Amino acid sequence: MNISPTEAEEALEAIQVVMQKTRRYLSNSGAYAFLIVWGAIWLLGFSGSQFLSPQMAGYTWMVLDILGGVISMVIVLRMKKNVRSTNPVTTGTRIGSFWLLLFLFCGAAIWVSQPVDGRQGSMLIILFVMLGWMAMSLLLSFASARWALVLTALALIGYFLLPGIFYAWMAVLGGGGMIALGLTIRSSW
Amino acid sequence: MSSLNETIHQTVRLRIMAALVTLKADEEMDFTSLRDLLDVSDGNLGAHLRKLEEAGYIVIQKVFEERKPHTYLAVSPEGRKVFKEHVDALEAILKGK
Repeated sequence: MNISPTEAEEALEAIQVVMQKTRRYLSNSGAYAFLIVWGAIWLLGFSGSQFLSPQMAGYTWMVLDILGGVISMVIVLRMKKNVRSTNPVTTGTRIGSFWLLLFLFCGAAIWVSQPVDGRQGSMLIILFVMLGWMAMSLLLSFASARWALVLTALALIGYFLLPGIFYAWMAVLGGGGMIALGLTIRSSW
Repeated sequence: MSSLNETIHQTVRLRIMAALVTLKADEEMDFTSLRDLLDVSDGNLGAHLRKLEEAGYIVIQKVFEERKPHTYLAVSPEGRKVFKEHVDALEAILKGK
């Protein structure tokens, strides 16, 4: 079978286009969506903590967390519809179990340490979420481990140096940062 | 030196293989998703999938999920190998080797 260099170039181009389209198709309901959803939740939730009364902020977080959980489940179901794994213990199940256990550990840590205020409790949750994000990045080869470190550093700076605007700081840099990262991952596929 | 594969080189089959090799080794894509992704008709996709299956380059699995039939498609290890060889051959032609 003989073909010209032009035909070979066209074939390689077609392969590249399909591969890129496939990655984008898979990522349409992938990791980037979780980052954008939870980034938006952090943005709204921490804004609420900064500007609303503690009681109202608590209700806001409750509603946002339930909403986030429902949207996350929809994302997972959509992912399963497109592609499935032949491995009986799928990566998705492992990821889900990991996050569930991490949140249980986080709850236990808060229970044991009895934070003196909401800011301290929030910082503990942020540290656990960032730990989970880093673990996911390192184990699943996402290229976003360094961003979890950056966000952790920013959160610590806000906690220790800017206590008065800590929640607003986390809304903009934490929530906004996650949204920006999600959009970056999506566009890079 | 790698050589071109006539079965794979056909346009639709080349696109099918490109889509399926993008998945991880233990993953399968359902028929409908692949059809939408490649923007081809059911009949056209089915015919090309059969050719690839006959050649041993893909594995087609038909299952029932919640009482509905689903067809899952995956590239076989042989398919992955010949696709890589085909791409190598195309790149060699492009480089004028």
